[in-house]
Amino acid sequence: MFWRKTRAAIAQFHPLHQALIWQHTLSATLPRAEWEALLASLSRHDALVRRRKWRLPARTESVLVPLIRVLCEDAGRGTVAIDADLRGHDVPGKASPPRELPVLRPVRSVREWWVRDPWLRARSELRDGGLLELSVTDHVRHRRVVKVNPRGKRKVKTKTKSVQRVQTTRSLAKNQAASQPGGPPPPWIQVKVRPGAKTVIRAGAKLPVPSERDQLPLIMTVATELFRWTRRTS
Amino acid sequence: MTPCLVSTGFFVLGRCGRPSVAGCAGCGRPICDRHVAPGGLCPECATAQGYGSPYDPFWTSGFRAHHYHSSASTYSDPTWYATFDDYDRGAFDPDDQGDFGESDFGDGDDRDFVDS
Repeated sequence: MFWRKTRAAIAQFHPLHQALIWQHTLSATLPRAEWEALLASLSRHDALVRRRKWRLPARTESVLVPLIRVLCEDAGRGTVAIDADLRGHDVPGKASPPRELPVLRPVRSVREWWVRDPWLRARSELRDGGLLELSVTDHVRHRRVVKVNPRGKRKVKTKTKSVQRVQTTRSLAKNQAASQPGGPPPPWIQVKVRPGAKTVIRAGAKLPVPSERDQLPLIMTVATELFRWTRRTS
Repeated sequence: MTPCLVSTGFFVLGRCGRPSVAGCAGCGRPICDRHVAPGGLCPECATAQGYGSPYDPFWTSGFRAHHYHSSASTYSDPTWYATFDDYDRGAFDPDDQGDFGESDFGDGDDRDFVDS
């Protein structure tokens, strides 16, 4: 059997690490120590696995690993839940049924379908008694346009347009005070606050899908707004 | 007992507070056994030596300072970065050797500066 040693090395990895390699998904609710064990396993991947087919999916090292680190920092003794689907957009089940749009000649048909990819959801019990939830969803619009010119030549063009929604929610601990920050967030971040015994703050943004390198800073920037409402006092 | 003064958390900031076992070789703040990085440095000073990989347990310290600095600019909110104290910010200024005295900021003679 080919790649025998690599298969043996993968078998020694953390079970969630193996799920990332084989299924490109990760779904677990764990305390901080367990996530540390997973990160230790992931850190050995590049040294032991050279086969391209079995490399870690995109966004693992640039988004998932740093996000786990950040969430674990604030979790304290609570748990962190992560549900990541890194299979990409072209997976059955993520696309909506196609529909035909009205057209004018010389366009003969326009078929449109949407792909909704909620590829990241996380939930963390904060050490101040609050709760942090975040989700990242890609929305991709596909259009297939068929045109026929006066000489009967047929052309097919496919267009895609992608946007991403980042939603973050923080539920404060019971009776924890929240105060409005001195200035507003950037205009592309929308904020909603529901006051009460347990104040809930939501911050969201809808933007073009960022590059892999800019993905984590975008998520962190949106989440920052939630914590401007409660500043450190000590 | 001298408590460990390392900042913990990312958004929910706090102090470690465990009993310290040494002083940071870079900034001198007391640090506990959990927060001693290689070279006897605190996490902030260790990550200030160079940005490591997210697999490094102390990577969060460097990323936290970077994120607070950049998000203060994005939000046009200079007080956001002020959430950090001198220790947290100071490790990223290699010239001051952890000293934040007034003398480090010149003698008040600003004749070389011009308004733009």
